[in-house]
Amino acid sequence: MSKNVSAVKDFTKGLWEQNAVFKQVLGMCPTLAVTVSAINGIAMALATTFVLVFSSMIISLIRKLIPTQVRIASYILIIATFVTIVDLVMKALFPELSKALGPYIPLIVVNCLILGRQEAFSSKNGVFRSVLDALGMGAGFLLALFMLGGVREILGSRTLLGFQVLPNLYEPWLVMILPAGAFLTLGLLMAYFNNREINKKTKQREAILQKHLSSKQSPAVEGGEA
Amino acid sequence: MNTITENPTYKLELASSPHVHSRWNTKQAMWMVVFALIPSLISAVIFFGFYQLIVVGVSLFFCIATEYAIKRIRKRKPTLMDGSAVITGLLLGLILPPNFNLAFTALGAIFAISIGKEVFGGLGYNIFNPALVGRAFLQAAFPVPMTTWQQPNFASLDSVSSATPLSAFKFDKVFADLSNLFIGNIGGSIGETSSLAILIGGLFIIFAGIANWRVPLAMTLGVLIFGGIFWLIDPMTYPNPLFHLFAGGFLFGALFMATDWVSSPYTVKGMWIFGLGTALIIVMIRLFGGLPEGVMYAILFMNAFVPLINRYTRPKVFGAEK
Amino acid sequence: MNTIVKMLITLTIVGVISGGLLSQISNWAEPKIEMNRKLETERAIFLVQPEAKSYLKIEEADFELYQVFKDENKSESIGYALPFEGNGFQGKIRLMVGVNVDLQQLVGLEVLEQVETPGLGTKVTEKPFTNQFIGLTANPIVNWTKAEANKDKSEIQTITGATISSKAIVVIINDGLSKLRSTVENGEAK
Repeated sequence: MSKNVSAVKDFTKGLWEQNAVFKQVLGMCPTLAVTVSAINGIAMALATTFVLVFSSMIISLIRKLIPTQVRIASYILIIATFVTIVDLVMKALFPELSKALGPYIPLIVVNCLILGRQEAFSSKNGVFRSVLDALGMGAGFLLALFMLGGVREILGSRTLLGFQVLPNLYEPWLVMILPAGAFLTLGLLMAYFNNREINKKTKQREAILQKHLSSKQSPAVEGGEA
Repeated sequence: MNTITENPTYKLELASSPHVHSRWNTKQAMWMVVFALIPSLISAVIFFGFYQLIVVGVSLFFCIATEYAIKRIRKRKPTLMDGSAVITGLLLGLILPPNFNLAFTALGAIFAISIGKEVFGGLGYNIFNPALVGRAFLQAAFPVPMTTWQQPNFASLDSVSSATPLSAFKFDKVFADLSNLFIGNIGGSIGETSSLAILIGGLFIIFAGIANWRVPLAMTLGVLIFGGIFWLIDPMTYPNPLFHLFAGGFLFGALFMATDWVSSPYTVKGMWIFGLGTALIIVMIRLFGGLPEGVMYAILFMNAFVPLINRYTRPKVFGAEK
Repeated sequence: MNTIVKMLITLTIVGVISGGLLSQISNWAEPKIEMNRKLETERAIFLVQPEAKSYLKIEEADFELYQVFKDENKSESIGYALPFEGNGFQGKIRLMVGVNVDLQQLVGLEVLEQVETPGLGTKVTEKPFTNQFIGLTANPIVNWTKAEANKDKSEIQTITGATISSKAIVVIINDGLSKLRSTVENGEAK
């Protein structure tokens, strides 16, 4: 039972609680650079997830065989192998997408999110949990990149996934598909989520305080009467 | 504990900049700046028609409304009457191109106040000049409308597009006539064309002691020196330094933007560094950059250095070891 | 000593496996990538030479050059397709230019690669701009103007707000044309 709960947790924590982009602020280079449209964001996140899942799997399998002194070098070798596979496959099968993402596919090698998960998780946990963790982190990354790409695509070219969603009357804000738009969107989204969380926490704290006060007050009132 | 804060005698007032630099308090000073912008508004009407008042009005309205809305959302005391949103609205309106789209104007105004000022914590905490932030956003978002200029056409509604003296110089190597530049009978932003009107308002706030004279003077000297060096090297390819002084948004920027209390240095030495640095960047962008005009980016760029400038030019405490 | 040996062995094994895997994938992907590249060039050639039915790479030229033919068996040449590149506003621009057989008239223009400002400079890839070059006589070169273009003067109109990108295209075409003309006149290409 408890094992099941922790397995679910391994997956879900990456979705939001420890979201790579909004909470850990990892992997900013691809996040900011490629999210000019939702489809680019999705493609980037899927490529990253593929690399993340397979490197996590391999590394957690051989984690006990790798001497600690050369673990980073070995991790990077394994990650780079999968990144090159993704790069070649994309060039062969999806040349358009590969062109749109340009040098950012090879740059997945240096995405801190991937090496970070290997160091923090799969080098210490079993295969099953490591793969779940990688899938969760990847899904969270996908969510974040889709949100960023979606907002930027809607405001910057009035389409979403290539379909027009805003009327022609709306003049696209060019700034949103420029690098400045990436920083603006990311900052505003983060501010919004943090604000919501703070409000929620404040309300919870107030509720607890209220409960605490009222439970303390009632005996005091009784005492006063006595 | 409670008694201390409730007792007015012990109340400690903490205020961020703008601090009082002069015999006027912040509120009076802000309203005098508004007053000083009236000549530029008049010149805008004369050269580009009454419609420009609507553009400035929309900018003004949305700046005030945004400020009010954000103060309400953040549950802070509305500070409308300090006039800062009014100034931002007027300044932003005056540095837009004539007949600018009203929806874009509103968007720029909202952006100027919300991202330019309120995200930093409100008046006094903003790093950059809010009006310039709004304009920079519009420039990046809508580059074509932001660079479509209209020929001055005494109060007629027919708009004929034209180049500004700076873009004429940059792309076609044509030098504008200095007397037209001075009066303002040229293409350009709503309130930036008439050097005469800007000087009337600008000298008023300087002599009233509201704006510090050092930054505008440093910028003027800087442009004359740096522009003059290139002019002396080759007067055929580089314009007369006086052209730099009266063309584009230089005077407006120097007198009304760079003198902003919040986003400019407060040390005397710092003001000189700030002014000269801004002038150098303006000349570099105008002569060698991809854009014809660089006043906005130069001031924003130097704004970013203000905390550093303040830190390094802070006067030594008397008697302290170095 | 023991750890060093262990480190070496681990890294060697990881490296060998990774290398083996990659060579397999590369063997599979390389022809496909090559094919994509060829298809793209082919598509661009036929776009800038709409009447062409076949093409031939000219090996004698010291730059990439294609001769195009009106029929399948490469007998009647109708011109050249010339991929050429140069500097734009922010980075490299690669073009494919179609030129007729007397090297005077432009038949088509396609922008293959560019990193211009989105929404402004990127307008050089769009039809309203590129169509200006179709049928234009470059005599001797292509000129640009900000006002209404005069076709008799070999003029095209630059895009408002993207003058530098527009001029860059014209410069690249003129450079390419001069290179093509000198090559053809020297008889290096048939």
